[in-house]
Amino acid sequence: MARSFREAGHLPKQSADGEPRPPEELPRQRAGLTPQMHGRYPDYDVLAQADHWDPVTRELLESRAREVPPVTVFTAAEEACLRPFLDVVLAQDAEPRIPVFEMVDKKFAQGKLDGYRYEDMPEDPETWRRVAAMLDRVARERGAPSFAALDDEARDAVVDAFSEGELESEDLNVSRAWSVVMRGALSEFYSHPWAFNEIGFGGPAYPRGYMRMHQGPQGREPWERPEAFEEDPVIDVPRRGLK
Amino acid sequence: MSRRLARAAKGAVFPEDNDSAFLLDVHRRAVPTEAMPHYRDDDEVDLVIVGAGAGGSVLAQRLARAGWRIVILESGPFWDPDRDWVSDEAGQHKIYWTAPRVIGGEDPVELGKNNSGHGVGGSMVHFAGYTPRFHPSDFETYTRDGVGADWPLSYADLKPHYEKVERELPVAGQDWPWGDPHSYPHAAHPLSGASELGREGARKAGIEMRVGPVAIPNGTFGNRPHCIYRGFCLQGCKVNAKASPLITHLPDAIAHGVEVRADSHAARVEVAGDRVTGVTYLRDGVERFQRGAAVAVCGYSIETPRLLLLSATEGWEDGLGNRHDQLGRYLMVQGASQVAARFPQPLRQWKAPPPEISSEQFYETDLARGFARGFSIQTVGPLPIAWAEHVLADGHWGRGLREYMRDYNHWTTLGLLCELLPQARNRVTLADEHDSHGLPVARFDYTQCDNDRANIAYGTKVLETVWEAAEAQDTLTIDRYAHLVGGARMGFRPEESVCDRDQRVWGLANLFVCDGSVMPTEGSANPALTIMALASRLGERLGKRLVTASAEPAGAASYTS
Ligand SMILES: Cc1cc2nc3c(=O)[nH]c(=O)nc-3n(C[C@H](O)[C@H](O)[C@H](O)COP(=O)(O)OP(=O)(O)OC[C@H]3O[C@@H](n4cnc5c(N)ncnc54)[C@H](O)[C@@H]3O)c2cc1C
Ligand code: SF4
Repeated sequence: MARSFREAGHLPKQSADGEPRPPEELPRQRAGLTPQMHGRYPDYDVLAQADHWDPVTRELLESRAREVPPVTVFTAAEEACLRPFLDVVLAQDAEPRIPVFEMVDKKFAQGKLDGYRYEDMPEDPETWRRVAAMLDRVARERGAPSFAALDDEARDAVVDAFSEGELESEDLNVSRAWSVVMRGALSEFYSHPWAFNEIGFGGPAYPRGYMRMHQGPQGREPWERPEAFEEDPVIDVPRRGLK
Repeated sequence: MSRRLARAAKGAVFPEDNDSAFLLDVHRRAVPTEAMPHYRDDDEVDLVIVGAGAGGSVLAQRLARAGWRIVILESGPFWDPDRDWVSDEAGQHKIYWTAPRVIGGEDPVELGKNNSGHGVGGSMVHFAGYTPRFHPSDFETYTRDGVGADWPLSYADLKPHYEKVERELPVAGQDWPWGDPHSYPHAAHPLSGASELGREGARKAGIEMRVGPVAIPNGTFGNRPHCIYRGFCLQGCKVNAKASPLITHLPDAIAHGVEVRADSHAARVEVAGDRVTGVTYLRDGVERFQRGAAVAVCGYSIETPRLLLLSATEGWEDGLGNRHDQLGRYLMVQGASQVAARFPQPLRQWKAPPPEISSEQFYETDLARGFARGFSIQTVGPLPIAWAEHVLADGHWGRGLREYMRDYNHWTTLGLLCELLPQARNRVTLADEHDSHGLPVARFDYTQCDNDRANIAYGTKVLETVWEAAEAQDTLTIDRYAHLVGGARMGFRPEESVCDRDQRVWGLANLFVCDGSVMPTEGSANPALTIMALASRLGERLGKRLVTASAEPAGAASYTS
């Protein structure tokens, strides 16, 4: 199977059209949650291991999984743009969604810094604001009232141009701005236990540790769950016209 | 000890004059501080150290053993791993130096989590754990290769201190064939499946990789529990298995009369004539002054030059040790590009400590490669956020990025450490912006030279060759930097350096710099062991009065080590 999840054919760089194999073809998550319920590890729920974590870590991760922080930093107009932008760049096209927008807002509300600023860039929250303004402006140039009003294809085209540093901005170094917002977004998304479930990450490991370090299935801890390589029959059978 | 005896005793040798591992509590991870002395601000201690990191802590431990009364001022908190640390990538953000800094130049170096730490233990709290020695050639790259600079000391000066520090951390690894061949006090750790693939690919490509050297004991060590292979070394080791000065040197230092004064941010080193008198620092928003007969600045390559610049005063208008416009210059980073590779079987590269195997086969200059000096190859084990940055850097977002992320467990990653050359234009200066203490922040400008670019490009090709030989199904590449050193380099003359071979700032008899900023070149080895060995050497020389903090020029005899 050229595009199986076991081999590499499902990866963008190994496919003819540069697109990944659609995750909708994976099973649906059966244990716990993953963003959009894609189930590469359909029976794995890292939060089920919380009893084995030290209390400080458990408290932190359980609250991260529970919490949808209030929005206090970004304005309603910024929110209207940044929410769909984050959905596109993180491919969160359905519920359940990891609340990345709220998590980024909370980080800025707490005044958390990353320890550096490019000489030609503003502080990070201001970069996010200017990105929102730039996206809305580009959308207007393309004939829509706002970025949020663009259809899926047009949004993808704008984001693609942004990722290539091809958008114009008077007050932003566009490729650096891409790196600032993307790394900010990814740091939140991949800190969330639902994302750990999706990628099969073992998560917190103190005090228990890991004991199996081999390649292949032998390397799976007793509490880890196997990977699903094959398609989900519920979707696949009708799609191929077999039923 | 003879080499044969040393081998037979592997894992059973403890350092003779450092009891840190036995002073730790068996049941809790925090360093016992009940017996720690407290000195008054107006009590002139023998030495005030700024920064409880790799350099500062080793210096303190050595001199405490020699009877010195010492205060360490540390800007960050005194960590209690049980209470303060979590087994989580995002949750450990607090251990990094995240106060603002400005970056510029043609190839700006991103700081934050990728460089220095904040808190007792310094950057080694979150260092990966690799502890290779420098090669003898590193101390004379100018003479040998016509690039970089010669050090005012040689490998032979540091060798006994390398051996000493390797016993204290202790270091585990296979016998080391490169540089000055040597063996390690602890046997190599078992290899993870992910790293086996790298070693196998390298072997097929004609490259030798060896296991180690890592500052993680193989088994328990004194009261330090053994490693549980959980892969969170860059997030701080909650286990107390991985070495950092917090557990390897400060317990012994405290037991011998050192006060570690946490949450105390040094603002200025004060000067009277050709001597320093102590350090002005901020604690709980209050400005205070600790008197000291001598001062050692050990704040990391960026904060050390910044503090010396901030200490400008009459007679030192451009900053302490900066009469010749040398301060902050020759700051270096290593080129640390990484290439990840995909395999059909699950590998779970997040298990086991990220530092596992390395090769120094490309360390020395080979003119056939078209550039001077070289690089080493090492394993890394990115956790999910670092992995996402890796995928992003290869140009993916949206559905493509999510797919590479879901494929995480099938990947393994090798990284480079390329020796980039010291250049005067790469430097720390003061920016217009201020930090939460109201002090101007550091600005760091960085631009590569042609030799640097050629080195990184060549090294990246070699990594690709390794993965090709291993029959990887796909690869992803990220260009990045690691390990800042230099900025207050030692040298032969004040016109071309900030301090002398005893790390004493030119023109100020009792001011020392004891951290990575004194290094004139960086090699392609990770710097922490060398920083500690330098501190160990300085501690020994000060303790034995081979170098003194007095204004009289040290006699010629005292300069031979
Ligand atoms: C992700 C990562 C991985 C790494 N991995 C490795 C590795 O595998 N091997 C290796 O050898 N090296 C590694 N390093 C680098 C290594 O940790 C550092 O080079 C080394 O710890 C630096 O030692 P230092 O003494 O110069 O400074 P530090 O250890 O950083 O100590 C400086 C201390 O000074 C304090 N300080 C600074 N300014 C002030 C002030 N004004 N007042 C009071 N206190 C102050 C700081 O808070 C800090 O605690 C790594 C670094 C990073 C970021
Ligand atoms: S892998 Fe070992 S040394 Fe690293 S953090 Fe975990 S227990 Fe500590």
